[in-house]
Amino acid sequence: MTDVVMTLEMIQASQVGTKAIAAALAVGLTGFASAWAELTIGSAAVGATAENRDVFGMVLLLTVLPETIVIFGLVVALLLLF
Amino acid sequence: MLRPEQMRRLLIAAPKGEIDTIIRELYRHNVYHIEDFVPESESPDALSIGHPLPGASDAASALIKVRAIESVCGIKPEDVEIREKLPVSKVRAMIETDLPAIQKEVEGLVSTRSRLEARKKEHEQRVKELKPFVAVPLDLELYRGYTRFTVFSGHIRHDVAIDAPHEKHFSDKVDGNMIVVVVPNEYREEVERTLLGAGFQAIPVPGGSGVPADLQESHTGEARRTGEEIVAIDQKMAEIRERHTDFLVACDELLTADVERAEAPLRFAATEETFISEGWVPADQVDRIRDALEKVTGGRIYIEELEIDDTTRVPVEYENPSFASPAQMLVDLYSRPLYSEIDPTPMVAIVFPIFFGLILGDVGYGAILLVMSLGLRKFIKGDEGRMLLQVLSYASVSSIIFGIIFSEIFGASLPWPTLLFSRHVSIGAAAGGHGPQITELLILVFWIGILHITLGRILGMGNSLRSHHGKHAIKGVIANAGWIGLMWGILFMVWGFYALPLMPDLTGLPVVVMGLNASAVVGVVLLVVGILAIAQESPLELVEVPTVISHVLSYARLMVVGLSSVTIAMVVNYIAISMMIEPYLEAITPVGVIMIIMGLLVFLLGHALNTALGLLGGGIHSIRLQYVEFFTKFYSGGGKKYNPFGMKSKFMEE
Repeated sequence: MTDVVMTLEMIQASQVGTKAIAAALAVGLTGFASAWAELTIGSAAVGATAENRDVFGMVLLLTVLPETIVIFGLVVALLLLF
Repeated sequence: MLRPEQMRRLLIAAPKGEIDTIIRELYRHNVYHIEDFVPESESPDALSIGHPLPGASDAASALIKVRAIESVCGIKPEDVEIREKLPVSKVRAMIETDLPAIQKEVEGLVSTRSRLEARKKEHEQRVKELKPFVAVPLDLELYRGYTRFTVFSGHIRHDVAIDAPHEKHFSDKVDGNMIVVVVPNEYREEVERTLLGAGFQAIPVPGGSGVPADLQESHTGEARRTGEEIVAIDQKMAEIRERHTDFLVACDELLTADVERAEAPLRFAATEETFISEGWVPADQVDRIRDALEKVTGGRIYIEELEIDDTTRVPVEYENPSFASPAQMLVDLYSRPLYSEIDPTPMVAIVFPIFFGLILGDVGYGAILLVMSLGLRKFIKGDEGRMLLQVLSYASVSSIIFGIIFSEIFGASLPWPTLLFSRHVSIGAAAGGHGPQITELLILVFWIGILHITLGRILGMGNSLRSHHGKHAIKGVIANAGWIGLMWGILFMVWGFYALPLMPDLTGLPVVVMGLNASAVVGVVLLVVGILAIAQESPLELVEVPTVISHVLSYARLMVVGLSSVTIAMVVNYIAISMMIEPYLEAITPVGVIMIIMGLLVFLLGHALNTALGLLGGGIHSIRLQYVEFFTKFYSGGGKKYNPFGMKSKFMEE
């Protein structure tokens, strides 16, 4: 083995760092996924609203349905951090 | 409550001679929902659609005139404040006497205005055409009328040298530069080539004569004068609006009523001598309307109460206590309940503000939204808008209450510790105390989800008993019970294996079989029975089984969306107060003052943004939990709106 010495503090610090990276990935990737899903729904929703003003409430709701994905990501991140 | 208003189906038949009286009486009572008559192949040949009453087309054309006047004067009946109610007879007399005069006046003003506008545009166009020529010191008549010379005038990229006898004027004072070149005809092509090489773009010489600058000035003056005349006309229009609004909106109302009445027979079935109409009346109004109709016709009418055979055709009117009625708007946004269904409005009215408060539990934001919803009431006139504001004000009160419980004001903490579970996220210097109790909060909102979904399934049993008969009803009830069993079965299994905070700890129960303790066994049994119960109604439903877990997990948004809003608020506070304001407060320097002002700006903008996000997030996520997680368990909707024949008089009195 080489002469790299890992102290307990270093291991703990790297654990904290890894957790933070994992939390960031959880929120970031799920946020991206939500945005991607909302992209398609959003453009269809705008089209539908242009055709018929009355569906606005309904399509606003459909547009935010994929928000659940990022919410789960956020739950995971919070559980990792605290 | 929980049921739409009871309706009765009425059949009215009477001789055609009475049709006017009957329509008038029905319209006055404003309770009869007409079921439009649609001639079908199996209906008797003698029945056809009725003819409109005489006067329908006159009333309609008068109405069009009134609406036209309203539209040019910018009067919107729905936004008009009621000042005084005019008597109907007076309005009717005024339609004969005053309306033509008003119409003439308005028409005159409109045509004058459009003439003036056209003239103004003409002058402005001339000014625009003249603009490049102002830069050249030549009178307009000097550009025309040569036989031996050619005049080039136009924009050019840069000045050019011309090697031919010529006269040239160049100016870079106007956009795109201006060049005027006069050359003998024999050099025309050569000069044109040179000019084109420098990007020459010819512009036509405007008509008229004299110095372009003077001409431009006079046209500008004309345009301004015409503009003033237009303003004067607009003022006259405003005067008309001021003077006649009351009359015009009353007129609109009266004529609309006339037209609706006159066209009502188009919705009736008619024979040679009689007419028949079918419609719906709220149960408590049946006797009143029957007596009234018999009285006005002197008994020359036949009214029968029919059986309700198809509940999907019954128009639906909500019947809710006053606290719940604003939430009808939220239910309508999804779909009006069917007549046979449970009306979920009271539950939405209670649960929506609670969810909103759980998400946005913050005294500061709640207070802002409360002030906003009360203040906007003055400006928003429509019924729906008012209902929405009412819902919002309940939601803001709930968010203030939860703010007190969570001890939060604009992301900072109130002088007491949180009364439930902490949502205070530790950021930078704000660290201290214990961090957010994520696990406890999560399980709290899961409990809310479990109970909410169980309630939905129980309502589903009720609906299934109401809308189906016999075997179908029983199957539906068993399937709904199966879903409840499945969900609670999973819960019992989890409890049997793991000890979780805020949940019963059943890990200590004695082991019964195969290493499973009593709780786990109960769970497995419930789960299996549940799945069987679901499958007996329709095996395809089993595809939906994972939603048992995903729908409960979805309630995590109640905590997470709230936490994200707390985090944003804390970040704003940290940047604005700890980083930008506090360090500079100790010794006031010019830079410090700027930083403090910037810090205040960040504080205001950040919290304004977070209020908007909180309103959007809190509102949309709470309503989504109702629509997607709650309504899908029992609610189908698709009911017809109860739309009685008649009108509530807003601007007139009898």
